[in-house]
Amino acid sequence: MGIPELLAALEASSPAVRIRDSLYLFPLIESFHVIGLTMVFGTTAILDLRLLGIASTRRPFTRIASDSLKWTWAAFALTVATGLLMFITNAGVYYHNFFFRSKMAMLALAGLNVLIFDRTALRSIHRWDKDATAPLAGRAVAVVSLVIWIGIIFLGRWIGFTTTQTDLKTDTDVNIEQLFPPAAGDSGGAKGPR
Amino acid sequence: MQFIEWLSRTPLSLAIQTHPAVVPTIQSVHIVAIGVVVASVFMIDLRVLGWAGRDQTLLETVGRFGPWLSWALGVLLVTGALMVIGEPARELLSFSFWLKMCLVAIGTLIAAAFQITLRRNERRWEDSLVTRRTTKSLAIATLLIWVCIIILGRLIAYDHVWGAWSLAPKA
Repeated sequence: MGIPELLAALEASSPAVRIRDSLYLFPLIESFHVIGLTMVFGTTAILDLRLLGIASTRRPFTRIASDSLKWTWAAFALTVATGLLMFITNAGVYYHNFFFRSKMAMLALAGLNVLIFDRTALRSIHRWDKDATAPLAGRAVAVVSLVIWIGIIFLGRWIGFTTTQTDLKTDTDVNIEQLFPPAAGDSGGAKGPR
Repeated sequence: MQFIEWLSRTPLSLAIQTHPAVVPTIQSVHIVAIGVVVASVFMIDLRVLGWAGRDQTLLETVGRFGPWLSWALGVLLVTGALMVIGEPARELLSFSFWLKMCLVAIGTLIAAAFQITLRRNERRWEDSLVTRRTTKSLAIATLLIWVCIIILGRLIAYDHVWGAWSLAPKA
C-alpha cells in the first residue's frame, strides 16, 4: 500500500467518518488538542526558564523536573492522540499542507533537542543541579526548545488557515459582508471554521 | 449590531482585516499566553493539592508563578481585544464568546482573591489555608474553569454547536 492509498484508507476509516459526520466531535477534539499543547508548552517553558536562570532559580533542576515532566508527557500524549484524530478526518489535505509538514519536522527537532540534552548537560547534572543557570549546552537546549515550541504553535495555527474542511457540516465563519450584504448576490468564499 | 458595524469600519479593524497574516499571528500569540496561564494555574493548584512543589511554601509557589500568570493574562486581554476589533461579528455574535467571558471573569476573580488573601495572611495562615477543604476544592474548580475557557475559546469558531443558542446569523 502506497502513501496515497494509506491516506485514503485513513480518511475512510470508521473513526474518521464518525468525526466528520458529527457536529461536535471535531470542535471538541480540537479543543482538547489546544488544552494538551498549551500544557506541553507551559510545562516545558518552566524547565527551559529554569535552565536559563530566569525563573525558579533557587530550586534544584531535578526537583522541578520531577514536578512537571510527567505532566508534560501526559499532555503530549493527549496532544498526539487528538492530533491523530484530526489528521485522519482529512489526511490527504493535511499530508500535503506545507505548514503541517513543517510542524512535523519541528516536532522531530524538538525530540532531537531532548536527546541532545540527555547526552550533554544532563550527564553532569550532579554538578549544576543547584546552580542558578545550567551550563552552556543546557542553556542552548532551552533556547532551542522555546523557539521550537512557539514555532510549533504558530505553524499549527497556520494549518487551520490554509486547509479547507469541505466535509464539515456548517460554514460558521461569520464575516461582515454576510451580515451587511453590500448588495444582493453571493457573499464570501466557502472557508472552513478556524 | 450597529456597534459591530462601526467597530468593523474602524481603522484598526480594517488594518487587521487587510493583512491575512495578522489574525493567525494574534491567535498564535494568544495561544502561547494561554500556555503560560494554564501551566501557572496548574502548578499553583498542584501545590495547593499537595501533588507538587512540597519543598516550597505556598507563598513561594505563588511568588514564582503569580507574576507570570498576571502578565500572561494581560497579553491575553490585549490579543483578545485585537481579535474582537479585527473580527467583531465572529466574536461578539458568538454564544461561546460571551460564556467564555463570564468564566474568564470568574477565573480572574478567583486568582486575584487568592493571591490577595495569601499575601495578606502571610505565613501564619499558610498551613491552615492549604489543608482547608474549601481551598482544595477551589483549586480543582479553578482548573476546570480554565479547561472550559480553552474549550469555549476554540468553540467560537464553531458556534453552531450550540444549536438554537448560537448567536451566529443563520445561513
